[in-house]
Amino acid sequence: MAVDQTTITQLEGTPVQYEGGLARPAQSYWSESWERLRGSHFGMFFGGVLVVLAVIAITAPLFSAFVTHLAPTSVNLNDSFAPFSRAHPLGTDELGRDTLTRLVYGARVSLGVGFLTVAIYLLIGGSVGISAGFYGGWWDDLLMRFVDILLAIPTIYLLIMITSMLPLPIGPIIIRHDAFSLSTIIAITVWGTVARLVRGEVLTVKNRDFILATRSIGASNLRLMLRHLLPNVLPVMIVAASLGVGQIILLEAALDFIGLGVQPPTASWGNMLLNAQSYFYHSTSLVILPGICIVLAVLSANIFGNAVRDAFDPRLK
Amino acid sequence: MSTEAPARPKLTKAWTAAEPILEVRGLKTYFPVTAGMLQRTVAHVRAVDGVDLTVRQGETLGLVGESGCGKSTLGRSILRLVEPTEGQVIFKGEDLTRLGAAEMRRVRRDMAMIFQDPYASLDPRQTVGEIIGEPLDIHHLYTNKRQRQERIHELLRVVGLNPNFNNRYPHEFSGGQRQRIGIARALAVDPSFIVCDEPISALDVSIQAQIINLLERLQDQFNLTYLFIAHDLSVVKHISDRIAVMYLGKVVELAAAGELYRSPKHPYTGSLLSAIPIPDPKVERGRQRIILKGDVPSPVNPPSGCRFRTRCFKAQDKCAQEVPPLDTVDGHEAACFFPLQGDER
Amino acid sequence: MADHLLEVQDLHTVFPTKDGVVKAVDGVSFHLDPGETLGIVGESGSGKSVTVLSVMRLLQRPGRIASGRILYKGRDLAKASDPEMQEIRGEEIAMIFQDPMTSMNPVFKTGWQVGEPLRLHKNFDAKKALKEAVGFLHKVGIPEADKRADQYPHEFSGGMRQRAMIAMGLSTGPNVLIADEPTTALDVTIQAQILDLLRKVNHDFGTATILITHNLGVVAGMCERVMVMYAGKVAEQGPTEDVFANPKHPYTWSLLRSIPRLDAQEHEPLRAIEGLPPDLINPPTGCPFHPRCPFRIDRCIREMPPLEPVGPTQLATCWVTQAGRDLNEAAS
Repeated sequence: MAVDQTTITQLEGTPVQYEGGLARPAQSYWSESWERLRGSHFGMFFGGVLVVLAVIAITAPLFSAFVTHLAPTSVNLNDSFAPFSRAHPLGTDELGRDTLTRLVYGARVSLGVGFLTVAIYLLIGGSVGISAGFYGGWWDDLLMRFVDILLAIPTIYLLIMITSMLPLPIGPIIIRHDAFSLSTIIAITVWGTVARLVRGEVLTVKNRDFILATRSIGASNLRLMLRHLLPNVLPVMIVAASLGVGQIILLEAALDFIGLGVQPPTASWGNMLLNAQSYFYHSTSLVILPGICIVLAVLSANIFGNAVRDAFDPRLK
Repeated sequence: MSTEAPARPKLTKAWTAAEPILEVRGLKTYFPVTAGMLQRTVAHVRAVDGVDLTVRQGETLGLVGESGCGKSTLGRSILRLVEPTEGQVIFKGEDLTRLGAAEMRRVRRDMAMIFQDPYASLDPRQTVGEIIGEPLDIHHLYTNKRQRQERIHELLRVVGLNPNFNNRYPHEFSGGQRQRIGIARALAVDPSFIVCDEPISALDVSIQAQIINLLERLQDQFNLTYLFIAHDLSVVKHISDRIAVMYLGKVVELAAAGELYRSPKHPYTGSLLSAIPIPDPKVERGRQRIILKGDVPSPVNPPSGCRFRTRCFKAQDKCAQEVPPLDTVDGHEAACFFPLQGDER
Repeated sequence: MADHLLEVQDLHTVFPTKDGVVKAVDGVSFHLDPGETLGIVGESGSGKSVTVLSVMRLLQRPGRIASGRILYKGRDLAKASDPEMQEIRGEEIAMIFQDPMTSMNPVFKTGWQVGEPLRLHKNFDAKKALKEAVGFLHKVGIPEADKRADQYPHEFSGGMRQRAMIAMGLSTGPNVLIADEPTTALDVTIQAQILDLLRKVNHDFGTATILITHNLGVVAGMCERVMVMYAGKVAEQGPTEDVFANPKHPYTWSLLRSIPRLDAQEHEPLRAIEGLPPDLINPPTGCPFHPRCPFRIDRCIREMPPLEPVGPTQLATCWVTQAGRDLNEAAS
């Protein structure tokens, strides 16, 4: 790139006396929000619970190798419906599979789908919202009418419709009932709300003078959207995402429970519940344990999400 | 920074002979007014409605008028931050209205804008260094990081801010300091022409003079040409060599700053001058005031003929029928059939 | 204490915030006589608006009057009960605000709103109140007042709305009219109309007026006396002509030299006031203007000067002028 240095006026010899110190204390929006979040002990506690669950989920293979010494799918029919014991701290199911190991692997599915789905729907909703709000006109109309239609269809109905078509071959790839596909599918059905929120925020931000000022120095549209609009709508996206994880965990568990989510023998909290309902009188713990896990994860995600919202929402200041 | 601006040896020195840097010809900027479900265009706001102006190299051309007169839209149309509907903007011999996006981006290296609201015109999520560095990034004005950093420090110093404030966020600064940041950003590309859109009207009274003095010093130092837009005629008169007065999308009078104050020709200019309070009770109590009747009409349906006639104390039948051209009257350009005489001001 | 209509004594108004207590008004005293026009000048944050909001007892939470007396016709408004204040507001003391766009309720017709104080304070019925309202709208220069009274505020321009606000304020015949930056949101030609109207109101109705503004030019043309405020404190007060001709506080002195004047010589340099506006949470020690003051002496950094007479007609809070120095001479 050609750099024309000769035209830059040298600024030597200008008077050096500065106009005052800082008017207000130094703090970026992010560090300020983070400090507010840290101040919420209740929220931080459940954030910690979420972190512990996530660590367990990530290290599930290690857990099964070194703690329970059992794989989640290893069947032992001689040991079915075993009570709590040293070998099986939380007992076994009808096929003699270790419940603790299966719960740990189930955390992988639930939390994985929860966070991944939120990430995907933020990406879709954010891009659609920013571009619709920024360009306006027919593009905005087109995208927003599509969002209207999407939001008019009940999410669970849409999910059942799509997941019941699985496995679905699209070209060389076959979409199955795995966690990644489920995340994508759930994200595709729920990004509409985020897109709307983001678009609304873009409409107010884009009329502020700094957008005009940035255009006046020759910035491209892409730069305006990525460098200026995105950081300014990020708080809205964080707030939208904060309560999303809990909702998605519930939604995924519901899908598993009706048999349209993650398929056995892969363990998930939802399909463990489905499987256990036939043995409810025989072995109550098989129903209660996955239920407790779901409640704990969703509750932690929601309480922490609430704290995040309170800390990051610029309108609540 | 010195409290006292250097006495300026400028003006009189031949701005009349200086080359035009910018010529605006027949510029019109209309905004559609839409209605109904289908957003049909039912009318137009004629924000700028046929303006001709010449800005000469090194001068400050003041542009005054009340809200809704189109002065800000004119400034933005010149920089093509809003698209003009009709007319030409010739900057250094090149018609900007014909340029494509990429060519326009190149021209933006040579012109800049300073905004009214120092709170809204800086991105709250960027640090001062990022704000001032952005034009350098866009136009590739450095070869390495160190050069970029040095240039940012230099710019902060030149507008009177501590270079160590580089990593701070805009909300940590007061209004006047923020306006300095905005000025540093405008200077970053080393422009020759700057549109100042009400740069001091949002600032505290005790800060305004600092910014005026800074703008004047920078003009001398970097040989800048200003289009200075404001509603406050006393500020405009102080900083400008020539002043254009706008009313409802048209320039109604154009003259050298002192001339305009001493002998306004257009009745609107006369009433504008008399409406500005002077901070001196003795002068103020003895002043003759022309108090205009009514409000500014809507720019959607401007009056026929002369647009000022509905509020003018000199209006006659002719004013409703014909549009007065911007003609030379005693060395002024004024668009009026019945210009003010000596005893009327 | 002679018979001043309104007398404020050592008023302190505070706003507790999470960063500390903001002393928005810090020991302000002034008085207003019947029929006179007093200007209160200051920048944003100088406490000029909070001063009159304290007088009206209209402070937004968490702001509160910490100490001081507000004597209206001998009664202390700082201690008055809420029902008592409601009697006084609108009937005895009326107030008009800066932004005529937001100070009227958009869902009621203008005539109804202008007649509201009459229905509240004079027990007029709706019909009679409307008739009076139309009369006042006419008096403040609204053409076709009877038709205009039937319109909603959004059908009015900014200047017309400010006229309607003034009509509303005047309708009950108050003794004091407080105008808080009444022309700041308006264009200069409209500002001239409103100022002309306020002058007429003061003259015709004999209403004592407090005019709050940041524009020294407006004060020069409108007010008999002026009070200059800085950082919640009184800088100086006195007859307008004396204060402008011979300022006794360096802030007033500097401000007058820093603003461009329409009648100034061409390219006459401006003497800018250096530095930043004061931080109200951590105000400077001593006199709040000392960091920006060209006349500062050591004592100013340590001690806040009291408000004392300087010269025959003026009061100022400045050690330098209280010691008998003249600012014009000291500067040259």
